[in-house]
Amino acid sequence: MFVEFKAGGHTRRKFLKSASAMAGLGLMGAHLPGRAAADGHVIKIGFLAPLTGPVAAWGKPGLDGCRIWAEWINAAGGINIGGKMHPVEFIGYDNEYDPAKARTGATKLIREDGVKFIMMLGGDTWPGVQPVAERTGMLFSTLLPSDLGPDTTTLIAPAEVHPIYNVTGVEWLAENKPELKTAVMCAQDDALGLPSVATYLAAFEAAGISMQHDPLLFDPATTDFAPVVTRLISDNPDIVCLDTCYSDYVHPITEQLFQQGYGGQIISCTADFYDQMIDRTSAEFLEGFVFQFPDFDDPALNQPFINFNDPNKFFEVYNERHPGEWGAVSWEYASIMDLWKSAAEGAGSAEPGDVLAAMTGDGTGAHAFGTAEWWGEDLFGINNALVGNWPVVVIEGGKARIKEYKSIPEWYAKHGELLKKHMSAYGQMWDQR
Amino acid sequence: MIELLAQTGLNSLYAAAYLSLVAVGLVLIFGVMGVINFAHGELFMLGAYVVVALYSGFGVPYILVAAIGLIFVGCIGILMEFTIFRPLRDSPLGGLVASIGFLLIAQALVSMGFGVRMEHVPPVTQEVIVFSEKVRLPLQRLFVILAAVMFLSLLWIFLRRTRFGWALRASAQDAEAAALQGISIRQTSLIAMFVGAGLAGIAGVLTAPLISVGPHMGHAVIVAAFIVIIVGGIGSLEGAIVASVAYAFIHTIVTTFWDGVIADITGLSLMLLVLIVRPTGLFGTTDRA
Repeated sequence: MFVEFKAGGHTRRKFLKSASAMAGLGLMGAHLPGRAAADGHVIKIGFLAPLTGPVAAWGKPGLDGCRIWAEWINAAGGINIGGKMHPVEFIGYDNEYDPAKARTGATKLIREDGVKFIMMLGGDTWPGVQPVAERTGMLFSTLLPSDLGPDTTTLIAPAEVHPIYNVTGVEWLAENKPELKTAVMCAQDDALGLPSVATYLAAFEAAGISMQHDPLLFDPATTDFAPVVTRLISDNPDIVCLDTCYSDYVHPITEQLFQQGYGGQIISCTADFYDQMIDRTSAEFLEGFVFQFPDFDDPALNQPFINFNDPNKFFEVYNERHPGEWGAVSWEYASIMDLWKSAAEGAGSAEPGDVLAAMTGDGTGAHAFGTAEWWGEDLFGINNALVGNWPVVVIEGGKARIKEYKSIPEWYAKHGELLKKHMSAYGQMWDQR
Repeated sequence: MIELLAQTGLNSLYAAAYLSLVAVGLVLIFGVMGVINFAHGELFMLGAYVVVALYSGFGVPYILVAAIGLIFVGCIGILMEFTIFRPLRDSPLGGLVASIGFLLIAQALVSMGFGVRMEHVPPVTQEVIVFSEKVRLPLQRLFVILAAVMFLSLLWIFLRRTRFGWALRASAQDAEAAALQGISIRQTSLIAMFVGAGLAGIAGVLTAPLISVGPHMGHAVIVAAFIVIIVGGIGSLEGAIVASVAYAFIHTIVTTFWDGVIADITGLSLMLLVLIVRPTGLFGTTDRA
């Protein structure tokens, strides 16, 4: 099953209308010397991620974000390759988070559609795609750097270094709430949950926060979380850590914490659709909930070091089109496209090898949350992960707000050995996977 | 420790309640019609989506939604009987395969209608009965437990005290002999599908405000239900209820004191143990096994 559309899927009339509207708002004009008409051929970008099924929440919203990105870029004339302006078009393929379907999708996108770059969620689907990447030399991106290894030379993790950025939330808690001394954790037993468990364990140890008992792992098919929560809070922990649980777990676990009378600190990698969590618990209960993914209407995203075009407007447009669907990945794939566009324009070519060389050439990159470095050999066996600052987000008065940007490399410089120790214990180092 | 055990007991009762409803429906369909309905988890899912559509979407009172959910999913069961199981009556394997097809179609239709993301139903009530600081029972969970007891009691009365119930039991014991006595097998099949599907539907309706509702939510439930009916004895309603309670308590206790993955392994090991020691299940008979 695949979804295919031209950028925005709009008619000429609608396209002109939206372009005119944006021009009227002055959104694009301030950034462009002159509005050039696209005169080159269409550059196709593959979007190979789960668009349906249980993991679709980390694929589909990203495609929706890319749609907006493409409309904005095309309205501004397209991508400038060697002086010619090229419109961009996304070709979606629903891999349903299935490695075999991902492999079929990658082959189809390369052979039939002629894409120049393929964005993926990664994770369980990457092993299916890796042989295609090795055979074709196609440039792929993943949101999950645990896919990286010394052999994945054409795979980059330019948006998020999951789960390493989770250390910033724990570090912030330790600095701002030093009275919190004990923690417990639960996670689904899968490729997303386990490396995150290792990371949180390292972060808690680095922060001097002791674990009351081993992380409680549950089957990804779990629907009733009452027993999990009963166990978690049985010894009155100061902190309950929800690891990188899917939002389908974060919601019922949080609700159970509320119903079973927990009153302590909660920290989680994500809190997608947290407004619904508030509806099912209360704003008071979720006050102080720490996680890692901001709403893009946050004023803290308007600082000069942010490399994302008009985040507040992006959030507004996204919510107009997809009300209540803003999630952790809504902006991430679009931010990868910012990096790709910049590299392609710098290289004067959209060919995968040229773009990769331009992107990683000087060892740094313009990450959405500021300038970052290509990093990762220690943990992943290859420097293909873009790492820098990451925001710590806290729910205050029912609204997510960035409290601080914290440096992942600085944390790693101090506590890298701890992280490697816990990653090894959970079999998550690149040479163990 | 006493409080932890007490809370675990309450958690187990809730799990046993909704699992019993699903498993008893599955057993009823198998007992009367002789087909394994692989799409039974999807009937549970459809019940939950009735809540999403009517209660979340249009604010219809929850009690009314529960009644609608039961009848709607029961009617889906009748539709399945007409279109899938009746034409394939002489081919139990064909019915099983067709039910897998129905499963996929139901998931696809719900995905198209509601989208792929999980739905979070607003709580019907946030009231919690507080026995002590560490022992609490949310009212919604108590409602599920009481409703399960009520529906299973009504089913028992229906099967033991009504002519339709006698007909169902007769068909389950020996369809040919029942037909010779003038019992319409078509009619009993329709009743079994309506009741069995309705029980799965009401389980979905009852639990929808407590879990994430999604097109694939039936999978976990059907796996547990199959374990339960194998342990209880395929075709035995009493066995399904006893096994549901046993499975729910064991799974919940192991999850609480060890972890959920070990609990799943324990549940499957329990099934294997029963198959080795007593292949017909705890309450099963050799005829059906």
